Parts: sequence; structure tokens; C-alpha cells
Amino acid sequence: MPMVTGDTEPEQQMLVQWCMSAQVFSEPEFRQTIRRIHCIDEGKDMEEILPVVEQINGSMSAFSLELRSAMDQTSGVRMWALVNTNADPISIGATPYTASELIMLKTLVEGVFTEGSGNYSMSFHDALRLATKRGGTRAEVESLLRRFTGDGWLALDEGFVVLGARSIIELQSYFNTGFADYIRLCSLCKEMATSGVVCMECQEAVHPYCAGRVAEANGGQLSCPKCNRHIRQPWKFGPGERGVPHALESGALEAKEENVGVEEPATQSIKKLRIEDSSDEE
Amino acid sequence: MDEDTQVCERKAIDLVRYALACHASGKPLKRENLKAHVLGNTPARNTRQLLDRANELLTQNFGLKMVALPSHEKVLTAAPKAQPAPAKWVLQSTLPDAARQRLDLPQSDDDQAILGFAATVLSLVFVSNMSVSVDQLVLYVRKLGPPQCIAPVDSRGASDAHLDSAAREAIAYLTRHGYLDKVKLGASETQATQQPTDGGDHHDDGMVYTWGPKAKIEFQPLDMARFIAAATGQECTEDFLRIIGRAYGSNIASQ
Repeated sequence: MPMVTGDTEPEQQMLVQWCMSAQVFSEPEFRQTIRRIHCIDEGKDMEEILPVVEQINGSMSAFSLELRSAMDQTSGVRMWALVNTNADPISIGATPYTASELIMLKTLVEGVFTEGSGNYSMSFHDALRLATKRGGTRAEVESLLRRFTGDGWLALDEGFVVLGARSIIELQSYFNTGFADYIRLCSLCKEMATSGVVCMECQEAVHPYCAGRVAEANGGQLSCPKCNRHIRQPWKFGPGERGVPHALESGALEAKEENVGVEEPATQSIKKLRIEDSSDEE
Repeated sequence: MDEDTQVCERKAIDLVRYALACHASGKPLKRENLKAHVLGNTPARNTRQLLDRANELLTQNFGLKMVALPSHEKVLTAAPKAQPAPAKWVLQSTLPDAARQRLDLPQSDDDQAILGFAATVLSLVFVSNMSVSVDQLVLYVRKLGPPQCIAPVDSRGASDAHLDSAAREAIAYLTRHGYLDKVKLGASETQATQQPTDGGDHHDDGMVYTWGPKAKIEFQPLDMARFIAAATGQECTEDFLRIIGRAYGSNIASQ
């Protein structure tokens, strides 16, 4: 059992309270808060925040809490959250959601993560359809969806429901345990990728932000960080993209190459779903 | 550390985790849930020890402590009542004043609006000897205008009935969340409080609003006096505290 010994400094207590209140926050906000709490002038250099994070995690581990982060895949800004590392009856017993709301959240998170075209997203309408199958009126489900978005578990990106920063930061081990086959890691930064480009040669994925960094370093030319081949026609995945299916991934890519101009199965499935939707509404 | 001590320490840590999770969810810790999720078959004589150790861990590591929520008032009397054994707890900061101000905890616009509204309503009750009649409070809240996130109403085109209904909805919200208690006036208190003027229905006769359990925890008398001073553009001097204390019904400066 981890030992809990002695007082922590008041500044650390203040930082922990702030992290708990902010829930999910960007690294620049975190730095600003550290400066304010430690009364460090704006003009003065500040040590890297990692020692602060390590110190907090040292005292929080006994309480199954940890400061974790993930990079925003488009902007490159690092996002942080103080997460619970032990999903036992104690933490589940105090959740703000009812049992049925938790099931709804799980359904949506899993639905987005395992979505067939490998885009880690679904339209708002599809998300509503999936959620209403679990029960509740459309208005109730819509209100719940907005709540999940407000709490950071999901997010809306150009009309598509995607994983929120909190899911990406807090549910990593959950995805690793139950959905390992659906995980893509960015070849450059090694963090989970739910949007980006895939190299046709070696099927490695790269975040949009990381792809931008590689292109900038290569005079505007995007090449795969793993196999170094030039990515001429990148296969994009993410909200609103053509997608790169998880299942039979290399087979799907070969089919795409041979049949340029022919609709790929993922798009056909999505169109079929949309036709079914409009006949439902009639 | 021997096995018994280890088991106690583990339970105290679990109690801290549960308290923090409830705090994050905006829910109080309830005694029955504590038993179900954390304490289990812990004998009653050890529960006090566990609560004390959990509070020690909370204060040392988080700058927080569990405080018992006072019970709801049912009848307003001058004499203080003995509080029953606590059934609910909330977390309160143990950080000094200056530190709390430097902390500047992030709050959503809605949360800020609700807190500001609650503080303003509570300040009225505070300076009215801690009780205001139902009609007077409705009138006050109508003039103040409740936050849109609690009782949405377009005040420009709204009818009297609509504004009245929005004010009552906002007061009901504060009551549900523990900021206000609707209580019966004790016999000796009847003269001290303003009674409704004739014209309306009298089903709320003898009923007044006073501070609820959550208000008593979140707003200390001195904090409220400072809030009133800031809101009215005055300095919070000893004289000001004496005047406010007379309206509150108790000396504030000495607290």
C-alpha cells in the first residue's frame, strides 16, 4: 500500500484544488496558474512543469489520482487532466451520472472509437440514433449528449461527434484493454491518433499537427516518419474524411489504390445509413 | 505498520477518494452511502477515528476538510437548536483567505451567475434578521431578475404573472440546492418579521425564508458582511460591521 506521509506545501494543495476544479486544461493555462500560485513574475523564466507534475503525482498516487496529458492532434497544444486511475465501486458510486446515463456514455464512446470507416467519429444524427436505441426521447438524449460534451467526454467537430479530450486522456487503459485492435498511434509522437493521415506503404498513422511538423522540416514535402517514403496522396482519417477502415486495413488500402474513382465500402455503408435515416424520418 | 493499522489507513484513503469524487460531482457525502461504499461493517467506535484520519489526509494533501451540513430548519426560533448527529458532509477549503483569493478557481459563466445571485439573495435575508417573508422575497427577486440559466424569461415583454413565476422558480432552485430553507415562524418570532400586506393569497402566512444548510457552510457572516460592503461601495470598517451585525442579529466583528 502506498504510504501517505506528512503535509504537502500550501502551493501544491492550491494547484491540486485548481486542477480538480478545471477538470481538463491546456498547458499554457496550467503554466499561468503555477505562476500565479507561486507568485512568479511574467517576465521571469519558469522551470519546466514536469517537476511540478511529478511532485503532485508523487503525493496523489496513494489516492488513485494522476495528472496525465495528451496532445491536441491538430493544434499541438498539450491538454492535462487530474484523472482517477482506479474505476472501482468507490469512484463509480460518486459519479454525477445515473447508471443508465453511464451505459449511454459507454455506448457512444465505444461507438465512436470502433466506427467502421476508421474515422473515430459519427454524425450527430447517427449518435442520436445510436443513443435513442438505449431508451429515452430524442430531446432527452440530445440534452444528455450536450452534457457529455460539456463534461469533456465527447466533442463536436464540424457536426461530427468525436472523443473529447477527457476521454483521450482518461480512458487510455480502457481502450488498450478492450479495443486494442482499433488503436492507432502516431508514428512521430507515439500518442493515440484519432485523426490524421496514413502512409499507403507501411500503414503508419501521423497526427495532422505532427504531419505539419514533418512537412515543415522537409521543405513542404510530407514523408512517412517510419518508412521515409514521400506521402503523395495521403489517406486521411478523422471527422468528415474518407476514412481508413481498421479491419483488413492493408487490403482496404490496396483496393483504394486499384479503384480510384470507385466508391469504397466505407462510403457506401455511410450512404446506405443516410438513405435508411431519411426513410425513417418519412 | 501492523495489519489492523494498514486496514484502517486503507479505509481512510478510500474515504478520501469517495469524498473527492462526491465533491467533483457536486453531491454531498451521505452517511448511508459512506456505509455502503467505504465503511462497510466498520464498528461505530472506529468510524469516528476513520473520519478524523480522512480529514487529516484531506487537509495535508488537498487543503480541504469534511464539514457536516447542518440539518434543514423547520421552525425559526431565536434559541439555537442542538444539531443531531451529522447525516451529510461537504468539503470545505482549509486554505487561508489570501491563498483562496490567489487561487481564483475556474468557474463557468452559469456557475458564476448562480453564485452571485445566491449571494445577493442571502445578503437580503442576512440583513433582515435572517428571515424574509415569502412575498417580500418574491418581490425582491423579481426586481433583481434571476439568472437566465435558472429561470429563463424575456423581461422586456414578459407579463406580471410570468415574472412572478420566474422569481418563484429561482427561489425554489435556491431552496432545492440548500441555499434557502422555507420555515414556519416560531411564536416568538412572529412580530419580528415583516408580514405580507393584504392583496395576495395567504397560504404562505407564517412561512418565511432563512438560510439553508449550504448557505451556512459556504458563506460565513464576516464574508457576507464584506460582500455587502463591496456591493454597496462601502468600506468594511468596524463601524460597518457593527451596523451589519445589528441587522443580522449577532455581533460579527468578534467572530
